[in-house]
Amino acid sequence: MKTIIKTTIVSLLMGLLVVSCSSNKEALVQVKKGVQAKSGVQLWGENCVRCHNIPSPAAFNDVDWSTIEMHMKVRANLTKVESEKIFEFIRSAN
Amino acid sequence: MKKIILTLILFVFVGNIYAQLDNKPSKTQFMVRGYGSASFSSLNNSGEKESSFNTGTFAPIFLFKLSDKLMFEAEMEFEFENGELESALEYADVMYVMNDYMTIRAGKFLLPFGTFMERLHPTWINKLSTVPLGFGHDGIVPSTGVGVEIRGAFSVSSSKFNYAFYSTNGPKLNNGADEPEEAGILHFNNYEDNNTNKSFGGRIGYLPFSDSSVELGFSFLNSKVGDADSSYENVSSNLIAYDFSFIKKIEPLGGVIDIKAQVNTSNVGDASYFEEHNGVLEEYTFDNKSDSFYAQLSYRPTASETDFFNNLEFVGRVSKLNTPEGSEWESQVNQKTFGINYWLNWRSAIKMNYQITDGTGGHGGGLIDRKLFTIQLAFGI
Repeated sequence: MKTIIKTTIVSLLMGLLVVSCSSNKEALVQVKKGVQAKSGVQLWGENCVRCHNIPSPAAFNDVDWSTIEMHMKVRANLTKVESEKIFEFIRSAN
Repeated sequence: MKKIILTLILFVFVGNIYAQLDNKPSKTQFMVRGYGSASFSSLNNSGEKESSFNTGTFAPIFLFKLSDKLMFEAEMEFEFENGELESALEYADVMYVMNDYMTIRAGKFLLPFGTFMERLHPTWINKLSTVPLGFGHDGIVPSTGVGVEIRGAFSVSSSKFNYAFYSTNGPKLNNGADEPEEAGILHFNNYEDNNTNKSFGGRIGYLPFSDSSVELGFSFLNSKVGDADSSYENVSSNLIAYDFSFIKKIEPLGGVIDIKAQVNTSNVGDASYFEEHNGVLEEYTFDNKSDSFYAQLSYRPTASETDFFNNLEFVGRVSKLNTPEGSEWESQVNQKTFGINYWLNWRSAIKMNYQITDGTGGHGGGLIDRKLFTIQLAFGI
C-alpha cells in the first residue's frame, strides 16, 4: 500500500512539475483569469480531451449537439459557463 | 433482463409512434450512439497456450432529451460468449437539471467512484484493451448502482470543483452459503436491496488550473452489506478511492502526455464464514481488506509532420491488486501492460497490447503467470 501511495504522489508531483515547466507567460495569465476569460474553442480543446479525443464540430448536426451538450455537461461535470461556451463554438463552427 | 430490454424497446417505439401521430414536429430529441469492439487474443497461461478471434461487443447508448432540463439515458451491452448472446443493462437513468449547479439523477447509473468506470472504461476511450486490476468481474471497485444522485460543478476563482453524492441499494456481502470460495466478496450490481440500509457515497473533484489539465478526486462509499435478519446484518463496508488525472500538450515533447491513476481500498467488517473439510463445517474469519491501484501514462506525438505518427499513441500501465490474506480468494497480483494504438479517427482505434500478469492466489490458488497479447479494433458510433 505504501508503494501505491508513493507512486501516486510521484505521479501527482510529476504532473504538476510538467504543468509548471510547460506553461508560458500567456498561459499563466489565462490560468489566473479563469474560465470566464476563455473562448469556446479553448474550453472545447481543454475539456473534451480530459477523457477522449476531440470531435470535429462537423461530427454531428446542431440538434444532436444539443442532446450531447446535456449528456456531457452532466457526465463530464462541466460548469454552466464551460458548457455554454463550448457548444456555442461548436454550433458556430458547424 | 429480457423484460428490461423489452421495456426499453417499447419505450423507443411508443415514443416514436406518439410523435408521428402529432403533425407538429417532436420536441423530444433522440439519439442512438454507442461503441463496440472486435479482437484477437493470444494467451500464455503458465505454459498453456491458447489463441482466439473474439466475437465483437456492442454497447448502444440511447439518449432522449425531453426538454432543456430533462433527459433519459440508457446503455445496453451485447456480447456473444460461449455460443450465447449475453446482454446486460449498463445504466438507465433519468436526469433533471435543478439549477446551474445541481442535477439530480435516478435509476441505474455509473457510480462516480474514482474516474475509470464512469468516464474511461468504454472501449473507444480506454487506451488499452483490458481494464486495470480491481475493476470488472470479481473486482473490488463498484461500477454501477441503483438509486438517486445529485451532482454538479462550479468555479472558484481560476479553479473548479465538481461533486456527486448518491444513495443506492449498495453492495451485497457474499456470505459463502452458496459459493464458499467467494465468502466475503462484495457484489455491487444489485437491483434489489438485501437489507433496509441504503449506501451513501460520493466523489469530490478539484481542478486547480483553469486549463483543466489536472484533476484530483476523492471518493467514498459506505454501506451495510449483510442480508437482513441474518448473522451478517450488521456487517458494513467502507470503500475509498483517490484518483488523479493530468493531460496536456507538452511542446518540447511534441505531443500530448496523459497520466491517469486511481487507488482503491475496500474495508469490510469482521464476520465469520464456514468451509467444509472432510464433511465437517469449520468456522473461519479473516481481515477483509483489499486494495488495488493503477497508473497509466500515454503519449501521442500530435506535433509530428506526418499523419501516420500523428495518429500513433504509446501507452503503458501498471496495476496491482491485493485481496484479503486468509480468504478463499486471497491474491497478490501485479500487472504491466504496454500498448501501441493507431487512431483511424477521433473515435476508432486499432490497439495492440502486451500484458504481463504475475503473483499468487486467485480462485485457483498457486502462482499466476499470464502473458496476453491482444489486437483490438475499438470504435465509437
